[in-house]
Amino acid sequence: MKRKTMAALLILVMVLGTVGCTSGSDSEDKKTDTSEETTSEETLGSVDSDTVIAWYAPAPHSYFDEVKKGVEQFVEDTGMEVIIQIGADWTQASENEKVEALIAQGVNALAIYPCDASGANGLYEEITEKMDVNVVNFGTDTSHPTTASFAVATDVKQAAYDATVALIEMMGEEGNILNVLEVLEDPNTALRKEGVEEAVANYPNVEIIQEIAGIQTQEEAVNKIESALSANLGKIDGMICTGMEATVGMSQILSDYYEKQGDEKHIYAVGIDTDSGVMNAIENGIIDATIAQNSFGHGYISCMLLKYLGEGYQVKGDAYFIDSGNVLVTVDNIDSYEQNLEEVTQDILDRLTTDYLEK
Amino acid sequence: MIKKNVKNEKTIKILFARNEVTVVLAVLVLGLFFSIFSDSFLTSYNMFNLGRTVAIYIFIAIGQAMVVIVGGMNLSLGYIGGMTVVAAGYCMEVLHFSSFTAVIIGLLVGIMAGFINGIIITGLGINSFVVTLATSFIFTGLINGVSQGYPYNEIPSGFTVLGREGFLGIPFLLWLAILVLVILGYFFKYTVTGRRVLATGGNKEAAKMSGVNTKRMIILANICSGLFAATAGLLWISRTGSAQPSTGSDWMVISFAVAVIGGTALKGGVFNPIGVFFAGFLIVIVKNGLVMLNANIYYEQTYLGLILLLAVSLDSIKDLLNVRKLKRDLKDEKQTK
Repeated sequence: MKRKTMAALLILVMVLGTVGCTSGSDSEDKKTDTSEETTSEETLGSVDSDTVIAWYAPAPHSYFDEVKKGVEQFVEDTGMEVIIQIGADWTQASENEKVEALIAQGVNALAIYPCDASGANGLYEEITEKMDVNVVNFGTDTSHPTTASFAVATDVKQAAYDATVALIEMMGEEGNILNVLEVLEDPNTALRKEGVEEAVANYPNVEIIQEIAGIQTQEEAVNKIESALSANLGKIDGMICTGMEATVGMSQILSDYYEKQGDEKHIYAVGIDTDSGVMNAIENGIIDATIAQNSFGHGYISCMLLKYLGEGYQVKGDAYFIDSGNVLVTVDNIDSYEQNLEEVTQDILDRLTTDYLEK
Repeated sequence: MIKKNVKNEKTIKILFARNEVTVVLAVLVLGLFFSIFSDSFLTSYNMFNLGRTVAIYIFIAIGQAMVVIVGGMNLSLGYIGGMTVVAAGYCMEVLHFSSFTAVIIGLLVGIMAGFINGIIITGLGINSFVVTLATSFIFTGLINGVSQGYPYNEIPSGFTVLGREGFLGIPFLLWLAILVLVILGYFFKYTVTGRRVLATGGNKEAAKMSGVNTKRMIILANICSGLFAATAGLLWISRTGSAQPSTGSDWMVISFAVAVIGGTALKGGVFNPIGVFFAGFLIVIVKNGLVMLNANIYYEQTYLGLILLLAVSLDSIKDLLNVRKLKRDLKDEKQTK
């Protein structure tokens, strides 16, 4: 009897859930409909009806929210519809399933963050060669050769180099640095490591005292950075974090570190991320700077490239990687750095049909 | 004199016969090793940090152990922790509730999640693996849906006292973990409900025949699992001063590793609070020690695996040696006859 009641309850919950999901989809559709109506009145002439753009992010994350703002601005400016899809987990298998479903719906232009640098290429080969879909990577690149037309991303090595140079200059060009890397399986980590090491190599009085890596979550970041601080107590002059989780972990740890060890000796710290906790840490003087990626540009530029490709533009020569630029955020420009990034975005947009595309 | 020696020998034998002795020995040996090779290992700052991490690992492990004891498992443990973190962060930052209210709501979220797991497992008779796998997706969706991937950073400073301060040089978190382990040790050894929970995991049918309401025990175990996952999540906020939605995503391995190395039998019916305590230390010491020794970052996972394998093998090595000794004794006895 109890089992029957339970089963009935579960069925009820499932039905309600399904209804809830359906009504959610309806509301999403309504939103899209509204945007289509508005845009068709405003810029009907510029809309290419053959191009159906989808923007795919693997999982909810503050970075993707920033990128989405760029996509939404693109929709507003061009009047084109973009199907925005955010996955539930950060895996290539899940990404493949979602993208295949989008293609089945008629999408023929895809701006996507690849989960796996080499695994994503298998998906791209299928959809570009069999279905004539144009693919633009945003946020990070896939391994080469790839059938993606472009990658719009931060030059991670350059960003790591710039961040390290900024850190070294803050340190007075001497002292020991703790280098905090993230997941070693990610090819970008190797590039970031190279960027940091190349910068340090230019300063004879600066040394990397320790490297820590294998950080996938913020909890791992906290534990490992804490251990490294303990191992080198009083010997670390600067800390560089070239990943988002590590940067968030660093900003949490340093406030606790100063509480326990006192703030007579300041550890200069530079990260890569504009998470609200990181920005608070800059404002409070816990960390000194962070590299802000052009997340808005990642969204806007990738969609604009797809629009042009849909209009018949071809990739010019061996153009492929578009460095979306970055800005060092300190307490001095914390309120104005976004404007600098907008200028970078505009500059790239102005050069798209001359430097990267041709008819 | 001879009597005294025999008594001492007996005491040592009894001590070494205990299940947790190998984990304790492994912790001592590794602690000694790392303190010899790293000047920083025994510093108060490092010990304090180790203690805090161990405490959170213990709560995560207890969360898993509670369901393993009744012959189940909880794959949604980390996501219950994540949901708690998001719920508490949302209450404090968005709804501007007091820390106390946020904690209560966070704990209720954990309890409710555990209750839902328990009620589905017992009500529909579905395997806990399948149920908690399914609910882990539901909980992940709720975490993402509510937080949208954004952390909650406006945590009142008073909230971090528990996670950042200590008493007698030992973090409050570790004191709390010890207290909970003592209570659980008492609960499983001296209370009727505790014995019933163990009996349910030891032999469900036998327990049922003895009049134990096994379904109720399984629901209770799942509620406790949710409660401890929620506690771990709240303590993590207290330690870092931020509520990150990604909290809990790597708890599954930790929860099983600490619980099982600590002597919690995967087939159920056994809980060893001393073992869990030292197993928490074992894993944290190895991870910390590798950073202390500046181990090669590319091979770090290999070292971690090798050391843990060696540590957990000690128990089996001890058993093998005992069997060999027994065989030798029997052989000697035969020859004497």
